[in-house]
Amino acid sequence: MKRKRMLSALLVVAMAATMFAGCGNKGGSNSSTQGGKAANDGDIKEFTAFFAVPGSEINDDNEVQQIIAEKTGVKVKETWLTGQTAEEAIGTLVAGDEYPDFICGGNGMPQLYDAGALVALDDYIDKYPNIKNYFTEQEWDQLRQDDGHIYWIPQFSNIKGEEKTCTHNDEAFWIQARVLEWANYPEIKTMDDYFKLIEDYNAANPTMEDGTENIPYTILCEDWRYFCLENAPQFLDGYPNDGSCMVDPDTLKVMDYNTSDTAVKYFKKLNEEYQKGIVDPESFTQTYDEYIAKLSSGRVLGMIDQWWDFAFSAGDAIKSAGLDAQGCDYIPVPVTIDGRKNQWHNSGGVLNSGDGLAITKDCDDVEAALQFVDDLLSEEIHNLRFWGVEGEDYQVGDDGLFYRTKEQRAKAAETDYKASHACSYSYFPQYDGTCDDGLNATKPSGQAKEFFDGLNEDVKKAFQAYGVETYVEMLGTNEAPGPWYPMWSFSNNFTTDTEGGMAWTKIGEVKHEQLPQVVMAKDFDSAWKTYMDAYNACNPDAFLSELQAELDKRMKDAAKYE
Amino acid sequence: MAAKKAKKKVQIFPIVNTIIMILFVIITLYPVLNTLAISLNDGTDSLRGGIYLLPRKFTWKNYITVLQKDNLITGAYVTVARTVIGTVLALISNAILAFIVSRKRFMFKKQLSLFWVITMYVNGGLIPTFLLYKGLGLTNSFWVYVIPGMVSAFNMLVIRTYMNGIPDSLEESAQLDGAGYTTIFLKIYSPLCKPVYATVALFVAVGQWNSWFDAMLYNRMNGKLTTLQYELMKLLSSVTNTSSSVEAMKNAAGTVTPTSVRAAATIITILPIICIYPFLQKYFVTGLTLGGVKE
Amino acid sequence: MSIERTKSKQKVKEPKTKITWKEIKRQKVLLFWAAIMVVYGVVFYYLPLAGWTMAFQNYKPRLGIFHSQFVGWDKFRTLFSDMTFIRVIRNTLAMGVINLVVTFITAIVFAILLNEIKSKGGKKVVQTISYLPHFLSWIIVTGILHDMLSGGGIVNELLLNFHIISQPINFFAHPGYFWPIVAFANVWKETGWNAIIYLAAITSIDPSLYEAAAIDGAGRWAKIKHVTLPGIKPTIIILLLMNVGNVLNAGFEVQYLLGNGLVQKVSQTIDIYVLKWGISQGDFAIGTAAGIFKSFVSIILIVIANQIAKRNGEEQLF
Repeated sequence: MKRKRMLSALLVVAMAATMFAGCGNKGGSNSSTQGGKAANDGDIKEFTAFFAVPGSEINDDNEVQQIIAEKTGVKVKETWLTGQTAEEAIGTLVAGDEYPDFICGGNGMPQLYDAGALVALDDYIDKYPNIKNYFTEQEWDQLRQDDGHIYWIPQFSNIKGEEKTCTHNDEAFWIQARVLEWANYPEIKTMDDYFKLIEDYNAANPTMEDGTENIPYTILCEDWRYFCLENAPQFLDGYPNDGSCMVDPDTLKVMDYNTSDTAVKYFKKLNEEYQKGIVDPESFTQTYDEYIAKLSSGRVLGMIDQWWDFAFSAGDAIKSAGLDAQGCDYIPVPVTIDGRKNQWHNSGGVLNSGDGLAITKDCDDVEAALQFVDDLLSEEIHNLRFWGVEGEDYQVGDDGLFYRTKEQRAKAAETDYKASHACSYSYFPQYDGTCDDGLNATKPSGQAKEFFDGLNEDVKKAFQAYGVETYVEMLGTNEAPGPWYPMWSFSNNFTTDTEGGMAWTKIGEVKHEQLPQVVMAKDFDSAWKTYMDAYNACNPDAFLSELQAELDKRMKDAAKYE
Repeated sequence: MAAKKAKKKVQIFPIVNTIIMILFVIITLYPVLNTLAISLNDGTDSLRGGIYLLPRKFTWKNYITVLQKDNLITGAYVTVARTVIGTVLALISNAILAFIVSRKRFMFKKQLSLFWVITMYVNGGLIPTFLLYKGLGLTNSFWVYVIPGMVSAFNMLVIRTYMNGIPDSLEESAQLDGAGYTTIFLKIYSPLCKPVYATVALFVAVGQWNSWFDAMLYNRMNGKLTTLQYELMKLLSSVTNTSSSVEAMKNAAGTVTPTSVRAAATIITILPIICIYPFLQKYFVTGLTLGGVKE
Repeated sequence: MSIERTKSKQKVKEPKTKITWKEIKRQKVLLFWAAIMVVYGVVFYYLPLAGWTMAFQNYKPRLGIFHSQFVGWDKFRTLFSDMTFIRVIRNTLAMGVINLVVTFITAIVFAILLNEIKSKGGKKVVQTISYLPHFLSWIIVTGILHDMLSGGGIVNELLLNFHIISQPINFFAHPGYFWPIVAFANVWKETGWNAIIYLAAITSIDPSLYEAAAIDGAGRWAKIKHVTLPGIKPTIIILLLMNVGNVLNAGFEVQYLLGNGLVQKVSQTIDIYVLKWGISQGDFAIGTAAGIFKSFVSIILIVIANQIAKRNGEEQLF
């Protein structure tokens, strides 16, 4: 008996071992079979890419990827960050001294440069017209590192031709359409107007149609998303989103929005509203999921947030629950402290010079890799990446305009379809704005008709009442602030190696803890004083002076081109 | 009198105990049922919250999303292989080590124990470990799943404690019969240690089944060596809270995977474990009845 | 049988085996395997400790471990001069100890109570269900916990209905509730799983001991006290010793997911600190230094605990 059992146990092991051996063999012969296959497919070259950001992987037999491979002769296997920080992931790659062909290091980009893992691109760029034209000479120079070479190409916010933006993909004060409708679409200009309208509406309509109580105003404070609480003062003063500070466009001086008079007024207002029960008492303890659940249930009348942080998840949920019929969608209102003009939405791209797509020293064919990047920027491939296959993912009208049927739009949003069919090579350089035909937007999200077809009735109604057609028009748009903009491309890469970076991290800690206390305090003035004492103990001047130095440097660099 | 009292206690106790157990089952079952309900609910609808024990908008879609993940089958093969091989190897090596250090006569008993105990509390860190595995040629190979961590002080100590409970007289009499250590280990100790072997096998198997970090770290570029959990993690990673880059969020925003997919992935992971568990459970539950019930 | 062994141990000190050629020959099989295990241990556990040199360097990935600038104890000085780090040690230690005590007691009590269930089927079902939460990720468990403890959650509803409170409590806003919540979360998730090891240990108890106890007129409590508990005592002691060394590993995820700005003074653990100030700032050395500190404390703790166990004639780690 026992021997039999032993035998069967051994058998299991043996079977498992052969199974693994099978796997191993497959793994081993993998590259050679692919090489063989490549020959059959007309020499499709395979590159690898690692992006140190979370992202969704596409299937190996993805259809659009295959089409692009046939047209360009190149296929890129992309992998994304999983369960690590960008710094850790890059740190391991650097330690092991083995890299994929393409890389985008996210916050770990300086490490890669430091380690000498990247190929200098400046000698190559001139050979590839699409890449060359992707940036102006000035922008290319902005990308030069200490050693004078260019190592990476920022992928995003690059506008070709006429800008086509319908959404304000940034921070704003939002308010539900039903609130505006109830008040007969008033002009909301100041912070006081905004909160007064919410108060009045809530007094008149304390519940939703089904009797659920409204949450007049909520604030998301979870971890890094606490910008919903902390950075409003810069917007209330009318400034654009420099992220870590305000910049006076005349004197070119960095200003601290944490200590401004507006900051005091804003937090005092929040404090008053909190005491009145307008601010959600769970604001400071809720998680992101809870916050999205609240917005999705239609109970929240207003909040400050970035569009991308809530619009896709909560927006879809509101629609699927039919709450758009009750006017639960959010409209941005241009609120400042005293009704001055805001500069929240800016035209022109934003060059984030701190991060981008790079080619590593382990890439054995840099020219082919760059040729592929060049091809990806060509109109034909670009349309494949973002619009998909004509007739399958989108239609072309008689007027030449691209549009999607309802089914196509729904399909484009499905996870499975995205994995098996769509391939946007989303972390490779790309354009916003207009196609070469001067007609269509480079991406469906910029296509005006597409945009309107996707809007809910309550939003359309509100837009009509205000005489606008897009979210951007609700807020008004501005010229790009200046060559320094945005300062966050610098402050995002702060490390504790410098005094300023140390201060920045400490300030974050203090604000996380103290700002909720300030809002909840019975005695605002003393709470504010406690906060300011803690704040000043963090050495904010070190942080501001580093920002100022960077600003001066950027202005000096820019002056060369005038 | 005394007998009466004892009898009275016996009558109350089972009721109280049953109630405690039922309450315990309710609070431990709830999160699992809640996860199940969310996994069967429409993803967008789940965002609204308020789902408890039953799905509100029933759908299989979340499971379909998970099961259609590319490479899931490859991952499942590798995971089964690593679970079987890893468990067998770990069990054998931990049992051998535990046997050695539980021999009273063994001359380096204390030193060897201390040597292993220390390993539980020291850690060279991510990068040195990575460099070591790379140097040993373990990266980009299946063996990185089963060789490191094969011997673990925790599992060894659990077996050792159990072996310590076996009377020395067994060993002594066997030695008198001329049996060597190998025979004593295989013929006398191992059969007696079944319950603890089952326990350790369960610990190791569950660890193997759930691990993905090693697949990500050492075999990221080799699609044939991916594991089930790594594939699931990749599917879920776009919802990670830890991403602190606003730009990354802007880009990923449209592709956020709803909580429901996570729930479906969790259920898919638990199912095989629930199925296999009863086979191991008999080793530590049948023993119980022998001891517990007799009055 | 385990009782007899424990008793005998208290009386007789273990004989120390002298190293002689005869002994070596006798134990050659053991020595052979022990040597293999030592080689394995050195390679996989001790060799990577070379990485500890990172803590004494201004580690730069480009230069690697061998060429980075040596800075001596600077990183440790930075850590211990930071008040935040001192507070973080306190939090870690407090949560580590609380978690250790409560998860330990609940698992043992659960194993013993489960052992007292007569119905074999019932026992199996309860056990199977009890360990399931172990497989849920922290993000799911903390999500449910947040739901239950929110203003309109079930806990506040119950407390309101029974008129224990008049206003819903915002559990996550008060630092005082944080440690108990973390402890509860650990108990909830791990009790069933932790009990498995005790259930296995209970099987080693000789049934005749229960019979003998019954003959002596022992009731249920007496049997638990005099047979079951002593039977699993070695397991309890070993696990306790091992876990004493782990009090500084109070965790990362659960605190990260349950914490917020209002409670960060009590919620941050060493691991969170390391991520925030070290790794996400590209400073690996700080993380290594904190790791060395943790190892150092752990080893001191288990040596002390082991010594106490030895003095009391209990099972020891080494």
